[in-house]
Amino acid sequence: MTIHLSLLLWLPTIAGLIGALLGRRQAGGVALVGAALALAYAIVAVTRFKSGGGLQFVTDEPWISALGTRWKLGADGLNLFLVLLTTVSFTASTAWAARKGGYDRPRVFFFWMGLAHSAVLGALLAQDLLLFTVFFDLMLVPFLFLTGMFGGEDRVRAVVRLFIYTLVGSLLMLAAAIAFAVLAAGDQPISFVFSDLAARGPIANGSQNWIFLCFAAAFLIKMPAFPFQGWMPDGYLNMPLPVLAVFSGVLSKVAAYGFLKICLPFFPHASAHFQTLVLLIALASILYGSAMAFTTTNTRLVLGYSSVAQLGFIVLGIFSLRPEGAQGALLQAVNHGLVVVPAFFIVGLLAARAGSDDLRDMGAGALRAPVLAALFLVVALATLAMPGSSNFAGEFLILLGVFRAKIVIAIVAFAGVAMASVYMLRMFIRAVHNPAGAGMESLELSAGDGLILVPLVLTIVALALYPQVALVRSERAVGAAVAAVGTGPVQSATAARLAESGGAP
Amino acid sequence: MQTFAWLILALPLAGSLITALGYKLWPGRLPGVIGTVAIAAAFVCTVLTLIKLQDLDPEHRQVLFVGWDYAATFGVDAEISILIDPLSLFMALVVTGVSTLIHLYSISYMWSDKGYARFFSYLNFFVVSMLVLVLAGNFLLLIVGWAFVGAASYLLISFWYRRTTATRAGIKAFVINVVGDIGLILGTYFIFRNSGTLDFFGTFQQAGSLPEGDLTAGCILLLVGAFAKSAQIPLHTWLPDAMEGPTPVSALIHAATMVTAGVYLIARMWPLFEHAPAAADVGAVIGAITLLVAATIGLVVTDLKRVIAYSTMSQIGYMIMAVSAGAYAAGLFHLMTHAFFKALLFMAAGSVIAAMAGEQNLDRMGGFRKAMPFTFACFVIGGLSLSGVPPFSGFFSKDEIIALMGERGGWHWILFVAGYVGSFITAVYTWRMIFRAFWGEPVAEALELQRGHLHHAEVHRNPATGEEEDTDVGFPGSEHHIAEREWPMKGAMIVLAVGATALGVLQLPFHTTDVVDNFLEPTFRGSKYFGALDPSDGFTTIGLVIGAVLGVAGIAIAYRIWVQKPGTSARVQARFAGLHRLFANKWYFDDLIDVVVVRPFGWFGRFGQQTFERVFVQGTLVGGTTSIVRAGSAAVRAMQSGLLRAYAALLVLGALVVVFYFLAQS
Repeated sequence: MTIHLSLLLWLPTIAGLIGALLGRRQAGGVALVGAALALAYAIVAVTRFKSGGGLQFVTDEPWISALGTRWKLGADGLNLFLVLLTTVSFTASTAWAARKGGYDRPRVFFFWMGLAHSAVLGALLAQDLLLFTVFFDLMLVPFLFLTGMFGGEDRVRAVVRLFIYTLVGSLLMLAAAIAFAVLAAGDQPISFVFSDLAARGPIANGSQNWIFLCFAAAFLIKMPAFPFQGWMPDGYLNMPLPVLAVFSGVLSKVAAYGFLKICLPFFPHASAHFQTLVLLIALASILYGSAMAFTTTNTRLVLGYSSVAQLGFIVLGIFSLRPEGAQGALLQAVNHGLVVVPAFFIVGLLAARAGSDDLRDMGAGALRAPVLAALFLVVALATLAMPGSSNFAGEFLILLGVFRAKIVIAIVAFAGVAMASVYMLRMFIRAVHNPAGAGMESLELSAGDGLILVPLVLTIVALALYPQVALVRSERAVGAAVAAVGTGPVQSATAARLAESGGAP
Repeated sequence: MQTFAWLILALPLAGSLITALGYKLWPGRLPGVIGTVAIAAAFVCTVLTLIKLQDLDPEHRQVLFVGWDYAATFGVDAEISILIDPLSLFMALVVTGVSTLIHLYSISYMWSDKGYARFFSYLNFFVVSMLVLVLAGNFLLLIVGWAFVGAASYLLISFWYRRTTATRAGIKAFVINVVGDIGLILGTYFIFRNSGTLDFFGTFQQAGSLPEGDLTAGCILLLVGAFAKSAQIPLHTWLPDAMEGPTPVSALIHAATMVTAGVYLIARMWPLFEHAPAAADVGAVIGAITLLVAATIGLVVTDLKRVIAYSTMSQIGYMIMAVSAGAYAAGLFHLMTHAFFKALLFMAAGSVIAAMAGEQNLDRMGGFRKAMPFTFACFVIGGLSLSGVPPFSGFFSKDEIIALMGERGGWHWILFVAGYVGSFITAVYTWRMIFRAFWGEPVAEALELQRGHLHHAEVHRNPATGEEEDTDVGFPGSEHHIAEREWPMKGAMIVLAVGATALGVLQLPFHTTDVVDNFLEPTFRGSKYFGALDPSDGFTTIGLVIGAVLGVAGIAIAYRIWVQKPGTSARVQARFAGLHRLFANKWYFDDLIDVVVVRPFGWFGRFGQQTFERVFVQGTLVGGTTSIVRAGSAAVRAMQSGLLRAYAALLVLGALVVVFYFLAQS
């Protein structure tokens, strides 16, 4: 069976459309089927993926030839598990939304969910810079509508902030992408295809620097990293829960992926030049995010700020510019997505029992709900990267890479490891332990909720036992991306081309 | 051997899962039985592995079994591998052996608790974690086991999870243990960046050629891990608070097994520490300081379990001092005897606390001698062993450590003296506790028990704060169980009492018996100190006599102060008010950590929350950007009427403008 990535990409949108046409009551179910089919297809792709084989399942069609851009999709070690994470997260969130219901326009809701799913897959699978940029911007549109139409009280402010921030990033990135293609082309016709860009070699150092900064700004805003997190609190407080789960679980990972896929291979000089700056931003994100997470009482914001910190670790790993650090970062991107989705669901269930998102209103949630508390415990321990979890394997490699590259930054970053245990356990204890809050009613997980949560938690456990499954598949691509920086501008093109073509020189 | 070795880990894991998953299904005491059988089976497997190992030649008694690649990439050889050698099996034997007894005890002791199945699931999980820790064949798995025991300890400390005192103690223990984990990880990094392997054997083979600076830094960081886990100064403050957990937990985790992990770590890393003498000295000195400081606090604490907790700290100080100074076998021998007599003391204390219906304050106790003869006998045996009175096991193991400190010579003489001073204080605080609980006028609970009726509190109170609590899930139930009436408790305590009395025969002075030494020899082959430190018979004799005299003298003084002249204690307190305040405030370590660590972090968080986020991020960054598009945002307020679409269109339009701009330029 050949894997058609275009089919994988559009499946969720098509399902969303069909569901919308069929009617209110079918919309959720059909969207869920679409997402689940995409998940199944992604699993097949992972099983058929050849670990050392470079870019695979390539689709390469002409798209806008006047602009030199092609409809080129492909899977390599960098995006394979992120694609799987995306389909897992969207399937779980769509199921959660379909189960909880309560949206006054379900057809619109599930259509936007499907489109968001496709857009994320598109950004991950794109092997063309313009295509990547288009999907990267397209990702935002469904979330603006989902928040604006179905969000909480302050949804207007949330949408405005989200829009302004990411618009700035998007425009910078678009400009940078075009400038890069033009500069790289020289006398040749313009092409946005990654393999062409790699073959043409890196551009002049001065241009690399500002183009790199534009891309970096876009990615850091999307994550968000400190100090670009201004949109995050309103966004997190007002998004509908299933939307928030995918937003936090997946979108930030596309930004991290962007660093590995674009910045390191194409701007090797700039990546090395700005290494310390980016590392310091990452470190500030870790420390600031952690400190905020252990002082806020809103459960959504605890998870939000903890994501700021966790994304800080991921950026730290990538910009260690060492292969083991980048491997850890990529693994951690998958891990964080896998823990944050169930974490949001669990927090949502507890908020429903307490009648509020606030930790001060919770307490003793474990009293009649041992299963819910146990699931929460696994998720919380994985989030704080307890050794034995896959998150720890990722963090271990990240910090090892940074330790070898910049020892002082690594040592300071360990403060974030300790703080993670404080904010996650604090949330766990205040939500399900301690005396009960005023309105808190401890109820066990319902079977339907369990059907969604338990597989997610089992996935975390399975990956904890064998993170190698992801590492072995990404080793080659990550090695090539990092080698591009490490071995200087001349050889970097060769390395990037190697990663693309999948053959020996 | 491989099958048995893996089964050691698999059986408690299975026990933990079975008791957890069947929490609604298992009737009556079945979860307790399942848990106990699982650990007992693991003990049997350990013995079988041991037998197979002893069949091998001594030089081949170090076997590594590799399971699977865990996170191996780019030269980081992170795999799942377990190491079977005399040291790891020694630890596994102590862990599974003592655990079996404590599980057995818990079948009765925890019976009326609403979280019965949960308790055994956690307890089994702890045993798996501890076994991963001691059987790990590389640094990565060691770190995993290290953190797992921390998590198990957290779960069990906050077992009564609706008590805020318990959850606070839990998070404190967890976070301090994470600090230890970080020390361990960073130490591993320092070593790994030179050795290029995470494997123990691979690292040890290169121990001599690693750069000294990195090796010393690495070893000191490993010590941070050891100090956090083994409650050594200054990372000890979690252990007394950990007494919030049920008493069997205190016996198993916070006395016999987990807290000795630091001792194991230093012994396991002996090739590294022998090449980093500066780090080893740090370990020895901190061990000595801890043994003295903890002993002095033990003199004044009034909570029965906390006295034993400080005693544990102090005794582990001896062990850390021993293994850091090269007295490996002596340190490990003391680890074993301590596991027996300390677990016994905790179990006996649990029985007393049950008779007091949860009350732990020594001031409220008294006169239990007649009411609880069996518990009393166990307490006395444990106390004699702890005080180092011959011929109990603690006497031989402690004196061997102290003698070897003298044998090292040089500044180690200070440690030698510290050991004897600590030994004297140990006898005093141990017997202060025993005299106050068992001598004197019987309290109401004791009298009630003498009449054959076990006291049960009508109103449940938190022993730490006196707050009233309900007896719903999460609190000890209405019934309490004492050793006198329950054969599982009695049986477990008898076995431990026999061990606490007689285990000394394994390693008698003057090389009369050398079982521990001979057994451990393959692990320590090539060591500078193992076997080389051998005090002369005359020196040993003097040491033994001093030890015995100090132990008996301590008991005599305690008898004089707390039995013969009951007012003496108050007079001494008044006379040395400053010293008493220092001890009673636990040398102000909690306050110090609060000022140096907790408050700055809290301040930083609040500053971020209240000032930075509000003024800078929301005010300047967001406000500034927002005001630029104020006109636009006014339109967005009417978004539901469809203006959002206009925004989306604007996004596309803006993109197109930029596209054309650049196309025009090229």
